[in-house]
Amino acid sequence: MSEDERERNRYHFDRHTPEYRRRFASITQEMHARCPIAWSDAYDGHWVAAGNQEVFELARRADLLSNDHDVKGERRGYRGITIPTPEAFGRAGFLEMDPPEQRHYRQALNPYLSPAAVGRWLPFVDEVTRACLDERIEEGRIDFVDDLANVVPAVLTLAMMGIPLKKWTTYNEPVHAAVYTPPDSPDSPRIAHLHMEMVMDLISELEQIRADPRPGLIDALVRADIGGRPPVFEDLVGSLVLIIGGGFDTTTALTAHALEWLSEHPGQRARLSRERDALLDSATEEFLRFFTPAPGDGRTFSADCEIAGTRFKEGERLWLSWAMANRDATVFPEPDTLDLARTGNRHSSFGLGIHRCIGSNVARAVFKRMLLQVLDRLPGYRCEPGGAVPYDTIGVINGMRHLPATFTPGPRLGPGLDETLDALQRVCDEQRLAEPVTVRKSAAKIER
Amino acid sequence: MKVRVDPELCQGHTLCNMIAPDVFELDEIDGHSSVVNENVPAEEEARVAEAVTSCPERAISAF
Repeated sequence: MSEDERERNRYHFDRHTPEYRRRFASITQEMHARCPIAWSDAYDGHWVAAGNQEVFELARRADLLSNDHDVKGERRGYRGITIPTPEAFGRAGFLEMDPPEQRHYRQALNPYLSPAAVGRWLPFVDEVTRACLDERIEEGRIDFVDDLANVVPAVLTLAMMGIPLKKWTTYNEPVHAAVYTPPDSPDSPRIAHLHMEMVMDLISELEQIRADPRPGLIDALVRADIGGRPPVFEDLVGSLVLIIGGGFDTTTALTAHALEWLSEHPGQRARLSRERDALLDSATEEFLRFFTPAPGDGRTFSADCEIAGTRFKEGERLWLSWAMANRDATVFPEPDTLDLARTGNRHSSFGLGIHRCIGSNVARAVFKRMLLQVLDRLPGYRCEPGGAVPYDTIGVINGMRHLPATFTPGPRLGPGLDETLDALQRVCDEQRLAEPVTVRKSAAKIER
Repeated sequence: MKVRVDPELCQGHTLCNMIAPDVFELDEIDGHSSVVNENVPAEEEARVAEAVTSCPERAISAF
């Protein structure tokens, strides 16, 4: 039965190895040809869905697949969305829940994260981006990760949560480093310590906002109605850490990869800048497809079932590879070619089904605004050969640690980052920007 | 041509609205899509067809 299914589809798949990053395209082609649903013995054994149709059919079966992470062993002992299960962390908030509980959390957050809600923040995003570029514009040298793509998503995420903007540095390093630092690294204890400090600060903000309301995502969760009950404390903290992890590292990864690719393809960069009204949306979706910042998610089968021609048993684990589904030639012609004008681009980079990335509208908006200002102010930038430092592995995030670039210096347009964040903090407080769209409709007004 | 969005399948990816903003509107609160008018004007047909093939959830049908 299931043993036969495993034998028939056996393929050694370990997405945490550096080899998987190096050979991603060829491993993907091999899996599509041989076993679009594979059984890997890695990490106590799990299924891997690599084919587009298989990922599509599986991802939307929340009736048969569970996201639950039963940390305390109170339900069926399922182990959430990460394979292997990380020891250091608890439940990853509402991403490791099933409906109806999961739905209550999302309903509380949606009015802060819808396209209409995110649109109100664009002047804020533009101003943070402007300040980041001004910090480097006279120098003619920038690290697109350290100086831009790490900063803007972090500052915006904190603003939306209701956390003081100047704390962005407290949150920035541990969030990124927790992803790219392997557990056996000599730097691991320091990163764990920074991460703990960040969580302590988050809890302190949570308790302050609980006692003294301040608009934002934290307020939304603290006061959320989870089926007639308040949220459990651990799930509140888990959800906030999830929002921060989702808001920071993924958009950084997308931006860095796109900027590096555009540097390597200056003709395409000039075309994108020139034809931005027609191409910005399709180019953004194509960068999302091609680089898939969050390459996949785990699930647990909650019943014996047959999906996409394979029989599965209750309790078996599954890795849904958004990244490999995005390279399936049956859906995407020339899948390993990046085409800024690609049509029919039904990529799964934000996931599929009920767990669709709740920050997808934030990610797109922040990416586009950063990209446009770079194209306008640093039009001929060149990434330094050999300077890019991608993450060693792409098992968690297809990210980049550094991306240094040089460009023709230009004039500053306004104050630097610290002064700008002080001014923007006043705007956040006075205009209550972090209110949900149901309360506040108009865009941020920023005068300088 | 007529077009529909299946509200059970839509998860708010918003691509349809990016492609054909005059045909698909997004809910202010959760960003899920619905059609402004199920009768598609001739000049929107190509965009609607593109929205159908771009929807990650395959939630849009044109007929």
